[in-house]
Amino acid sequence: MSLATAPREALLTIQPVDPFVAVRGVTRVYGKGRDALPALQDVSLEVAQGEFVCVLGASGCGKSTLLSIVAGLDQATEGTIETADGRPAVMFQDPGLLPWLTVRRNVELPMRIHKVDSGERDRTVNRLLAMVGLTEFAGSRPHQLSGGMRQRCALARSLAQDSELLLMDEPFAALDAITRDQLHDDLNRIWQETGKTIIFVTHNVREAVRLGDRVVLMTPRPGRIAQIWDVVITRPRELDSFEVSRLATEITARLRAGAEADGSR
Amino acid sequence: MDRGRLQRVAGAAWPRLLAIGLLLGIWQLLVVVGVTSPGQLALPGPGDAFAEIARLTSQGVLIPALLKTLERAAIGYALALVLGTFIGLAVARIPVLRAGVGSLLAGLQSLPSVVWVPIASLFLAIGGQVENAMYFVVIMGAFPSIAMGVMSAYDHIPPLTFSLARSMGARGPRFYRHFVFSASLPVYVAGMKQAWAFSWRSLMAAELIIGSVASSGLGPILDNGRSLLDVPEMFAAVLTILVVGIAVNDLVFAPLERGLLRRRGLVPA
Repeated sequence: MSLATAPREALLTIQPVDPFVAVRGVTRVYGKGRDALPALQDVSLEVAQGEFVCVLGASGCGKSTLLSIVAGLDQATEGTIETADGRPAVMFQDPGLLPWLTVRRNVELPMRIHKVDSGERDRTVNRLLAMVGLTEFAGSRPHQLSGGMRQRCALARSLAQDSELLLMDEPFAALDAITRDQLHDDLNRIWQETGKTIIFVTHNVREAVRLGDRVVLMTPRPGRIAQIWDVVITRPRELDSFEVSRLATEITARLRAGAEADGSR
Repeated sequence: MDRGRLQRVAGAAWPRLLAIGLLLGIWQLLVVVGVTSPGQLALPGPGDAFAEIARLTSQGVLIPALLKTLERAAIGYALALVLGTFIGLAVARIPVLRAGVGSLLAGLQSLPSVVWVPIASLFLAIGGQVENAMYFVVIMGAFPSIAMGVMSAYDHIPPLTFSLARSMGARGPRFYRHFVFSASLPVYVAGMKQAWAFSWRSLMAAELIIGSVASSGLGPILDNGRSLLDVPEMFAAVLTILVVGIAVNDLVFAPLERGLLRRRGLVPA
């Protein structure tokens, strides 16, 4: 629900906008009895519409589990997830393109599944391919693309899903630094153009600072939120700018302190 | 461009031609040495066999027999394909069936299908259903390979594909259409290829034993040669059976498999 459509009374009293995604007291335990392994413990997080939230943490801190639960691919043991907009689109570290389909067919797959008519489908695919810079490669197959192009294709496909919420699970972790830098620029631009709400999971501190409106730090065993930073650096941000470096250093220090506290137990 | 293609075909053909030449050479050598059966029947040479093929063709015997046999193979194989696909999908998707039927299918696959011939003979052929008896043997020979192929194809779909399908909201028929069928196609085709080999063998066993009763086909020609002590005719039948097996593999399955793998970037283009 946006402010523009809210009733007049609500506007006059200036109530806070309903969160777009609300994670409330989510706990996820794998296994049972003595083998029980808590991956997430009492995690609560609210994300506003159009916000770009980066969830940061070392491997095993439960950040991917949290994303899977929001995506509906995993179930919380306790707690609830509320999303204002149906089924979120998901992007993984592996682009997961279907190797038997061309770039165009991969991008239009979500629309084919939901039986969007072909005229609208073509228009949307053309627009998305242009947006991610793959227009010339529409007829190529995934194995003919570079790693960065595959991930661009996967991004276009998740945008084709017509969901306002985009969940990204370390989508650029397997790419080289130069390609990743370009994709950061592209993602930042596409996010600003489309107004999507993004939850972006990463273990890369600078990546989180460069992209996010907020950085949510998670610590492991059990996975929980340690601290949240508002990133007030103007966009577009440079990966090696002074402001990004300074905040990244601060977050890294907190990350290390958490790891040492964890190791001393 | 065309010339390059010609050269490539020629380049791919010569090892095969060499192998065939070598085989014919050894065969001819055995004839020259003078191999005979205990009943003093001489071993015919390649030349005799090819002359016999020409004779059977010109007498209008070989081609109708070949077509009849191919028709049986095609119908039996198609039935096995449908049956095997459904059984394979059910076993792959339903855990109880997998636990119960999975190992049984593997057992059936290793059971020589010739053992079904006497049973088919008693239950079907003697009652006049010669064709059905042969379809039965072909199906029993081929469907386990198809079903096993479907199962292993399903198991080879990456878990990520299932996650993607779920996150895109693909359920039911759309899930099968857009993800399962396409993802499992290469392994499925490998199963189809193996099943073809099994069905061709099964059909020959069935034709040899029950086909000779009433009907035409390559098996009956071979059996006819045996009863008339016409050794060249027997060799003509064996050669034809061999050539069909090779041709179906080379002209149907090999291009299908190559095309699939190439489009997915699993072999160099």
